[in-house]
Amino acid sequence: MKASRVIWTLIGAALVLCAGYMALFIAPDEATMHAVQRIFYFHVASWIAMYCAFTTVFVANVRYLLSHDRKWDALGVSAAEVGVICCTIGLTTGPLWAKPVWGIYWTWDARLTSTFILWMLYIAYLLLRGLLEDPEKKATLSAVFGIFASLDMPLVYVSNRLWRTQHPQPVILGGSGSGLNPVMGKTLLLSAIAIIGVMVLVLFDRYRLEVLRNEYAELKFLAESGSTNAEIAGRDTR
Amino acid sequence: MTNFQFLFTAWIVVWAIFFGYELSVAARIAGLRKDIEQLKRQLEEK
Amino acid sequence: MFSASRMSTARATAILLGKELRLEFRTRELLSATIVFSLVVVVLFSFAFDPSPSEARRFGPGLLWIAFLFAGSLMLNPSFAREQANDTLDGLRLAPVSSFAILLGKMLANLIFMLFAECVIVPVFSVLYNVSLAGVVGRLVLVLFLGTLGLTITGTVFSAVSAQARMRELLLPLLLLPVLAPLLIAAAESTASLFLEQPALDRTWVAFLVGFDIVFMTASWLLCDYLMEE
Repeated sequence: MKASRVIWTLIGAALVLCAGYMALFIAPDEATMHAVQRIFYFHVASWIAMYCAFTTVFVANVRYLLSHDRKWDALGVSAAEVGVICCTIGLTTGPLWAKPVWGIYWTWDARLTSTFILWMLYIAYLLLRGLLEDPEKKATLSAVFGIFASLDMPLVYVSNRLWRTQHPQPVILGGSGSGLNPVMGKTLLLSAIAIIGVMVLVLFDRYRLEVLRNEYAELKFLAESGSTNAEIAGRDTR
Repeated sequence: MTNFQFLFTAWIVVWAIFFGYELSVAARIAGLRKDIEQLKRQLEEK
Repeated sequence: MFSASRMSTARATAILLGKELRLEFRTRELLSATIVFSLVVVVLFSFAFDPSPSEARRFGPGLLWIAFLFAGSLMLNPSFAREQANDTLDGLRLAPVSSFAILLGKMLANLIFMLFAECVIVPVFSVLYNVSLAGVVGRLVLVLFLGTLGLTITGTVFSAVSAQARMRELLLPLLLLPVLAPLLIAAAESTASLFLEQPALDRTWVAFLVGFDIVFMTASWLLCDYLMEE
């Protein structure tokens, strides 16, 4: 393992431990929800990480269409998968917080509904890639769909907000940040940094996996078409 | 389930999902590395 | 230099649209299938929920738009799949027309087909569930138009995407329905505002529909070349 990789992993682990300690022990106990409220720190943090990931997908999709460089395609799919992971974490920790506090696991309030649709959008993106075979087509068409999905995101939020102000439902997460105690604010910030850190580490690994996959596919193609070693050296990487 | 049990479960869920995913990615990387080495040797033999 | 030999987008679109319409009206198979399918969904609603008249007013808009979304997802596929089967897409690509003209021609054709189907379904719905449409027909047509426009813009683009993938019949709804969630909300709410005791078209939602259509039409225009790539 490369030295820099080990160092970054250790930094990530340290951040996680500090954030965890702060979230579980240092942050003040909340008046009504007590211990369970502490879920809020890594629940909201995972959604912040999710947005970072999905923004990366958007940027990668646009860059790919402009340059046709497969590296951007690799980044796009990696960020999408990692984003779906963060979203899944958010969607599972949410009900675990909701049940003890509100008595129900789920409600169709604006934020949860929008995030659920987001989850489905990027799962659709990943499924689309799985069903396209030609690598060039896969990259181009999924980039087009990815851009449409990213453009849809704000529309999903606005429509759900408008809808829920017309037909109010119990707001399950409260206004996060509404009158936050400063220690709680710092804990949230540290948790966000920690989870984003973990997400970035996982993202890099996933990206490496994708690059290796492309390399393997190329080598396989060469092996099956019977090219010589000299041709491998001269072959471009498109 | 008490409040603490929900908190604990949520904590476990977060790290289990991240960890599980990371392990699966790492395993696939290791497998691919082996396959790539194998293919490279095959091509050099030609 | 090149533009001299290229047809203008408007003219190309008109010709392609004419071709699509003529093709469809020869057999009318797509249109009849779409109408029948939407009818089935509308009728099944009464079996599944047995709504009272006031319930029909409340849930009718949502039902109608779900029926249109489902019917749309099924009917948009044959649009590109037909081309794929006969390899006519290559011929289109070679012609001196912009990719946007090809896309726009199909979008408008799909829009016309869907609107046609809706003009059949909505009166049938109003008769079956005793929902009066008196006095709101004009505004209802506007909402149907804006909503269906959004459906066909995104649907045509995604059918071009899924036409090149496996399992395209399942893939298209999978891609389309999540993206259209905001449209479904906006269209259903706008329609619901017209089914009230005192119908009053909800301007906010109509503005949202217009915004939705503009965003995705612009995106289609910017990205159309990538869709039609070899």
